[in-house]
Amino acid sequence: MAKLLRILGAVLLVPGLMALCSALQVGPASWFTDEKSFWGMPICLFVFWIGLAHAGTLLSAVFLALGVRLDRRTALLAELSTLCSLSLAVVFPLVHLGVIENFYMVAPFVDSRGIFANAGSPLVWDFCCIAVYGLLSFLFFHNHLSSRNVPAQEIIRKPFAWLLLPLVLWVHSVVSLDFAATFVPEWQGAFFPVYFVVGAVYSGLALVNCLLCAEGYRVRLLEKLMIFSSWFIGVIWGWDYLTKGVFFTWAFVFAGLLPQLLWVGAVRDSRVGRLLVGLSVLLGLFLERLYLVSPSMSELPSLGLVDLGLVSFSAGFFLLFYFGLRRFVGCFVDEGGTFFGDVDGSEMEEDLSATEPAEGDEKYVNPFSSREFRTIRLPLLLGILAMLLFTVWCLNVPDTDLTLVNMLPLTYPVLALVAGISLWVSSGVLREISRRVLLVVVMFCVLFGVLAGIFFVGYPSEESGRQIRSLSLTERENNSEKEKNTERDIGLSSSALLWNARCSSCHGSDGKLNEKFVREYYPVPNTLTLSRLDSLGEDSLYQVISRGRTNMNSYEGRLTEKEIRGLVRYMRFLAGEE
Amino acid sequence: MGMDRRDFLKTCSLLAVGGLLFGCRKNALSEISDGLAGRIPDERLFEEEVRLALSMSRKELDLVAVPMPKALETKGEKSPNRFGMVIDMAACNGCGKCILACNRENNVPLVTEEDAARGRFMHWIEIRGGAPFMCAHCGSAPCEKVCPTGAASHTPDGLSTMMYKRCTGSRFCGANCPMQARKFNFNDAKSLGLSRQFNKEVPLRSKGVMEKCSLCLHRLQDDRLRFKTESAVAPGASAEWRGRGVKTACMEACPRKAIVFGNWLDGESPLVKAVSGRTLYAPRSLAPFDPSVLFLMEGR
Amino acid sequence: MTPLQNALGCLLALGCAYFFWKPKARLVGNAAILVGSLSLFVAYAFAVGDTEFYPFRLFALALCFSTTSLQKDRRRFLFLAQIFWLWIELFGNISLYYRGYEFAGTRLVAIAGLALCSTFLSRISKEMEFCLMVFWIAVWIFF
Repeated sequence: MAKLLRILGAVLLVPGLMALCSALQVGPASWFTDEKSFWGMPICLFVFWIGLAHAGTLLSAVFLALGVRLDRRTALLAELSTLCSLSLAVVFPLVHLGVIENFYMVAPFVDSRGIFANAGSPLVWDFCCIAVYGLLSFLFFHNHLSSRNVPAQEIIRKPFAWLLLPLVLWVHSVVSLDFAATFVPEWQGAFFPVYFVVGAVYSGLALVNCLLCAEGYRVRLLEKLMIFSSWFIGVIWGWDYLTKGVFFTWAFVFAGLLPQLLWVGAVRDSRVGRLLVGLSVLLGLFLERLYLVSPSMSELPSLGLVDLGLVSFSAGFFLLFYFGLRRFVGCFVDEGGTFFGDVDGSEMEEDLSATEPAEGDEKYVNPFSSREFRTIRLPLLLGILAMLLFTVWCLNVPDTDLTLVNMLPLTYPVLALVAGISLWVSSGVLREISRRVLLVVVMFCVLFGVLAGIFFVGYPSEESGRQIRSLSLTERENNSEKEKNTERDIGLSSSALLWNARCSSCHGSDGKLNEKFVREYYPVPNTLTLSRLDSLGEDSLYQVISRGRTNMNSYEGRLTEKEIRGLVRYMRFLAGEE
Repeated sequence: MGMDRRDFLKTCSLLAVGGLLFGCRKNALSEISDGLAGRIPDERLFEEEVRLALSMSRKELDLVAVPMPKALETKGEKSPNRFGMVIDMAACNGCGKCILACNRENNVPLVTEEDAARGRFMHWIEIRGGAPFMCAHCGSAPCEKVCPTGAASHTPDGLSTMMYKRCTGSRFCGANCPMQARKFNFNDAKSLGLSRQFNKEVPLRSKGVMEKCSLCLHRLQDDRLRFKTESAVAPGASAEWRGRGVKTACMEACPRKAIVFGNWLDGESPLVKAVSGRTLYAPRSLAPFDPSVLFLMEGR
Repeated sequence: MTPLQNALGCLLALGCAYFFWKPKARLVGNAAILVGSLSLFVAYAFAVGDTEFYPFRLFALALCFSTTSLQKDRRRFLFLAQIFWLWIELFGNISLYYRGYEFAGTRLVAIAGLALCSTFLSRISKEMEFCLMVFWIAVWIFF
């Protein structure tokens, strides 16, 4: 079964890779972009797969936090699907960008030569939230696997779940703010965060149900939760219709009406029936996101080959990746129970809705003193500290008009990042790795950080030792004989002023280049050394100024001949001619 | 034998995948561009495209009255300037000369035939409701708020600027402009032979960046530098630069003087003089954002 | 929306909360009641004219009210319901702030404060239940 699905995945991947290649090569012109919103299939796929990435973390973390027992097998599969969906989802924002190589400029912790990312933009929040979410999901999964060998590491699972649960909701709320914080009429609504989360939970449940069909067993609780989610989202769609008069008919049919077939016993009990219902839900929710992202798309035939190819790519990649990985984690999953069969889930239902006979008072634990809390105390403190520092730093970056509200969506990801990593480290996982390897890794990280810093910030510019005030230029002019050609140019002191007005923004007031400004935007101009100036000669320097060069505008018509010659003379002065 | 076959199949499929992913470099578009690369389009093509755009213009403007723009609220030093324009709807006859002048001044590229058929031009000015419409340089611009990299920003002088090299092409700004005033470079205009550098002072934009009306920022910058140089060299000149005498390309080109550029905060500016005693209008969806490019309606 | 309509909404939430989590109800029944109350809230919000996120706020309030009558794990669900309310308010307000409305900061701080303090409750007696409900109603009406 899994092998068949892997082959199916590979088959779907073939046209998908072609479409992806075309999308990357040609850019946004190759797929359908909406007239009003400029967005299209990549963003739709991004929101869809991020929603699906909720399947794993949500089921594991929420049920764990609420004290519902989910069998380990289903939890592990759900977490695996999270990782696969997430790694797929991060591809699409990159595909969507017009200039992919500039994607790093979205990060709000790289101060690229005085230009800082706009931390008030929902896309920056997206970037941070998803990066943190990916890392912490990976750490959570790793802990799940390694705690089988080292049971002592199990202690951080519940605190980690408490950390991850709000993050799950936070990520999708921030993704919804991509839409709800704009002025596009179809995207307005302060109810969007909850709407998106309900949709994500719904699609995640559908995906897990489909995957369980592939495994050959079922969890009835999850099917029921799927149906209830369909009711919830039906109400929200009705609400959307009342507010905006917009209704996604086909989405409603596939994800609202058809799932009700699960009430029919024949459909519910047949594996194919459940699979088809799950797929129908996924299709319906995909269509809903497509209509949302492209509000002025009138009919589906607007979609081109690349659009469909991208969908095929995502489906193929997921199938191949998931069932490929499934083979490797199979050893963890297959033990502890039959592979085929029914997991009734009745224990889970009891946990959710039963009332136990009162055994007297429940055991009262003082707040903030339970064992789980003590594990997370220090990491949480570190996280809060990091969050405060980060917020204060961002608000004080010069030339931004950020307010505290702009920074709010970034607070929890930063907190979760620092707290999560400290928590994971504290579980003793690093004791396994040999000291030497650890040392090498840490040194490598530090070195990488230093190099990245140098590359981005630029070499420190030397302070010019030559202050114009310290050397009286007019005195020099009067004294030196060589300088007595005021017929040809405007004189050193005037040239100095002209240089500072016109040339210093790129070349620096000392003739050494103005590193911070220039490096990112243009190739670096050459330093003005005397030997270089001599080799170029005065005439060719004159031509450079008046005609311009690559990335330097021509100044013909903006400077007179005398001014240009004055500048050339000043350059020699800066280069150190005595 | 079994191992060999498996290896063989594995290698074949890997090659196939590699070929698919990297072999698609030569696609349809690149065939065209090879033919057109380096070709500079004729000037007449630009005029024809403007005529086509005029014939396809269908959008209307829904105007409401707004107060006169005041100084911007900026952190730190306040600038004595706030540049803007006013467009007299009564004087405009929709001739489109402003569009052509703007395209020439700013090296706006042509678009492919499919885009032209859909009305998706790169022109920074469009005729809507019989009057030219361009970016309104809002004081509280929705586009700038959502740009992730900080490429869309605001000068203290009131211009909504665009840093092309900082743009990563997320098109969030384009989505958030209620009037769709921004244009996206879907194509690499240079390699497709669609762009022409009429004006050496304005850079050609690369594929994947957003662009829009810049209120002829380069003209303002030249004027400011000239002023700085002159006042440094000739002491006694007036203390601050007010941008007097600068005209945008569209203003110069309009035969009916329907477009007036100037400084909202300068009493001597032709802009302030043109609007004295008149009511100012702005599109309804832009009014809450404090636009700097406003309209005058007939007789009001 | 007038204060009277706001108060009526609060009463509506209180009324619906009575039916949540009845001891003998099965999962299906609970889900149906939740979805039904949400539809009721949507209808009310539409009638009153505020469809930004008022129905979800009513829903969160109803959930908070309903947790006071649970038998098992009451403190935990009380806390979670208030966090749910906080979540709706936080992101709803951020979204509205970006569209030009004011950010209701005091309301958020009040709910967060209540959530934090409710973790310190050891015994939730009948009086304490009533007290909590009064606090929530106060936050609803005054903030």
